[in-house]
Amino acid sequence: MMEEIKKAILEFAETSKKSKFYFKDLEKAVQAKIPEAKMRDIKKAATELVNEEKLIYFSTGSTTMYGLKGRGITEDQ
Amino acid sequence: MDFKPKRPQKELKYEELRIYTDEELHNYTEEELKDFKIKHDIPDLEELEKGPWPSFVADAKREALHRKKLPKERMMIDQDVVDDLLGQLQLSFDDGETHWKHGGIVGVFGYGGGVIGRYSDVPEKYPSVAHFHTIRVNQPASKFYKTDFLRALCDLWEFRGSGMFNMHGSTGDIILLGTTTEQVEPLFYDLTHELDQDLGGSGSNLRTPSCCIGKARCEFACIDTQDLCYELTTHYQDELHRPAFPYKFKIKIDGCPNGCVASIARSDMSLIGTWRDDIRIDQEAVQAYIGGEIQPNGGAHSGRDWGKFDIQKEVIDLCPTGCMAMEDGKLVINNQECNRCMHCINVMPRALRPGTDTGVSILFGAKAPILEGAQLAVLTVPFMKAEAPYDNIKELLEKVWDWWIEEGKNRERLGELIQRKGLPRFLEVIGVPAAPQMVKMPRTNPYIFWKEEDVPGGWKRDIKDYRLRHKR
Ligand code: SF4
Ligand code: SF4
Repeated sequence: MMEEIKKAILEFAETSKKSKFYFKDLEKAVQAKIPEAKMRDIKKAATELVNEEKLIYFSTGSTTMYGLKGRGITEDQ
Repeated sequence: MDFKPKRPQKELKYEELRIYTDEELHNYTEEELKDFKIKHDIPDLEELEKGPWPSFVADAKREALHRKKLPKERMMIDQDVVDDLLGQLQLSFDDGETHWKHGGIVGVFGYGGGVIGRYSDVPEKYPSVAHFHTIRVNQPASKFYKTDFLRALCDLWEFRGSGMFNMHGSTGDIILLGTTTEQVEPLFYDLTHELDQDLGGSGSNLRTPSCCIGKARCEFACIDTQDLCYELTTHYQDELHRPAFPYKFKIKIDGCPNGCVASIARSDMSLIGTWRDDIRIDQEAVQAYIGGEIQPNGGAHSGRDWGKFDIQKEVIDLCPTGCMAMEDGKLVINNQECNRCMHCINVMPRALRPGTDTGVSILFGAKAPILEGAQLAVLTVPFMKAEAPYDNIKELLEKVWDWWIEEGKNRERLGELIQRKGLPRFLEVIGVPAAPQMVKMPRTNPYIFWKEEDVPGGWKRDIKDYRLRHKR
């Protein structure tokens, strides 16, 4: 299950219109593919992907978004 | 109650942690400062130094001079970072717009908050602030620090950052202002391993919970604010560091309704210490106030002669619920009507004290004006016990989070969600019965959608029968 969710997240991150997206959009995209995936599992999977350096966090200070490492602005500009 | 840390605490000693010698720390004279000019012209900023108040410009200039006189190899980022910061600010004054690019990577491995990327959009002019990332340091409950910690932090930040910081941001964290991307990980390592301190929350996270000084120094405290703050901070580490909320979420804790951290106005979940038994009255002390032997307000307004203390005028008549009176020379309070405004207790603290059956009132949904307008929190749970390990409070909080995460839109604060869905829906979700006090004007605004199960006996409604008599 965890692996499936991670796969769904990466697919979304690669193909989404925007290179940065909110957690909620990620959650919806995963649940469209895996309806029984729970918010907490999706969060865990996203955290693992961050730890594996496949996803990155992007923050304005007030809001946080997720992105695929290497897509759009990821490193320093 | 004694503080029981959840893991062994490190004893910090500045002498072991320091980076700079005393000579390096005191490396310029006041004479030198007078003649000192930073490398850019900053006429508008210098205006700010002229008023009666201390100015951040004056402080920043000291720091610029201090860095200038430190050997270059004693700092990991550019020596003239403060000069460039002030230069860019002057340019923003000239142009009437900011020159910071908003947002960026979050620098620390595995954390989704605590570091906020800031980049200059005029880096060729001000190269030393091309990167100027902000770092939030989790403040301890009530912001008690040892000078050893603060001095070590100052040294560390001089070494790996700009040397400038805010005490404190509105969430409560210490805000370290400005460093480069390369320095973020090493700084985080030193902060956690050497100074034994964590980063605070930022972004769509639980923000660093904060509390008033509570029982540490204040006799009004109805609850152990520090213990509760520490418990929530450690218990919700995942929520603090790994963002998955629709937006920010703040928890603040006041020990009594005086509200010294203003949780009612500044937090999504506001916990305010209160009591449900009677205000304790010491009638002898009441007489001592009346007789002038004890100064009202703990002597706080003694700078001017206000005349003799008048309990009727200054206390009883000012009670907002009119529930106090003198009867046969004794002060009496109708506690059922008291709304815990604290006025009488503040004026006569030696005669009146909060009751002993204490707990918290819980309010939800305050926020500052960004997006929708500013909003105060709404009182949702009038009384709940607040004793370690606070499972009742956590259970309520998690219900609220689950609903908000499920229903909240991106960048929608809890208070906005409650407004959008309506208070009755919110109460339903957390399982709290509605009370008349929650309705702003119960007598003038009685527009309530009842559900069948709300009304004793329910009702029958035959829509076909209704349509026979009422056309669409
Ligand atoms: S909020 Fe109340 S308990 Fe806390 S410091 Fe202020 S007066 Fe004291
Ligand atoms: S706390 Fe406020 S409402 Fe209660 S008795 Fe005192 S003045 Fe009146």
